[in-house]
Amino acid sequence: MLSVLNGGIETVVEDWPGRIGYLDNGMSASGAFDNVALGLANLLVGNSPGEAGLEITGGYFEAEFGMDTVISVTGTDMKPTLNNQALPLWESVKVTKGDIIKFSHFGEFGFRAYLGVGGGVDVPLYLGSKSTCLFGSYGGYNGRKLQAGDVIRFGPVTQKLEALAGRRVKESARPRYVREWTLRAIPGPNASPDYLTEEGMDFLFSTPFKIQHSSNRSAYRLQEAQGLSFARPDGGVAGSHPSNVLDHAYAIRGTLNICGNTPILLVADGPTLGGYMCALSVINADLWKIGQGTIGRDFIKFEYCTQEEAIQARSEQRAWLSESSLT
Amino acid sequence: MEKTVQAHMPGLVARVVVNEGESVHKGQEVAVINCMKTELSVTAEWAGVVKKILVKEWDEMEVGSPMVVMEVN
Repeated sequence: MLSVLNGGIETVVEDWPGRIGYLDNGMSASGAFDNVALGLANLLVGNSPGEAGLEITGGYFEAEFGMDTVISVTGTDMKPTLNNQALPLWESVKVTKGDIIKFSHFGEFGFRAYLGVGGGVDVPLYLGSKSTCLFGSYGGYNGRKLQAGDVIRFGPVTQKLEALAGRRVKESARPRYVREWTLRAIPGPNASPDYLTEEGMDFLFSTPFKIQHSSNRSAYRLQEAQGLSFARPDGGVAGSHPSNVLDHAYAIRGTLNICGNTPILLVADGPTLGGYMCALSVINADLWKIGQGTIGRDFIKFEYCTQEEAIQARSEQRAWLSESSLT
Repeated sequence: MEKTVQAHMPGLVARVVVNEGESVHKGQEVAVINCMKTELSVTAEWAGVVKKILVKEWDEMEVGSPMVVMEVN
């Protein structure tokens, strides 16, 4: 177990693929914002890649371990320390009762770090997932981000800690973090010619958009897109702006909502329906990149992708998140 | 000795909650940043007196942006 000394900016329990199957009841999937970093953190400590870990956004998380176990830290480099000694990323490390882990703030690249623990984080399953949905205040640890005084339990470790410690993610298997993230995306469901002109779609697929400060686990708001060219003069009965449509289900996670002239990526805890058009959908294999996009600093660019390429990319990601990525 | 309170997260200044000349204690909130649609407190790491306020509402902050200069006891 682990006692939280400082919850930091936003630290939550997340697994993968999250709480799927309840969109029709208005419940988003939640789940790790960066499933690749969580998956690799889990593999390092002997868990399945989708096991629950801690997602640390922004930084400043501090905790004391209440037992001997094995841990791993992946994601952005928040300069983590264990008992004030630098803690390596992308590597499993044995910790002992009383050890204190501390994180600074997000690094030069990336925005979220993940703490994997042997046996996974032990919180109750809620509708099939341990993930926290922040806006709905359910799942995870009491449906909220962690705060000082919380005690987080771990699941049982089935292997010897010594055997699990010292494992590393191969250099070639470590995700590459950048400041301009290219997300492969499929046009639609509301694309050209019905909702945007071809020029409007070309603009979306060729412009880097800065991530706005208001972005969070529900939505990543991008800079206003003045170059958007709509195919309709207005939204008809749905509203005066051509981005308005009659309320419909949103293709979360990863659809690009066009809200007025503002493109907004609907992500982990995103809304399941609403009245704005969605011009493109980020492929499943690239969702993790959004979670590492740093607010107020990084840019997002969309790259056209076919359905076949998306399926192939998902298959490749499954292979990536396996023991073959470790050494 | 002068010390500067810095932003600990990127965001927009929501408000500054101290005035120049005001005494503050260690850990006291001096400003608030809007970030990820939540409000984050920026606190003084030292006790002292506010000497100069460097930011105003809606100013854009990065990690480490100077916000409030203090004369530290």
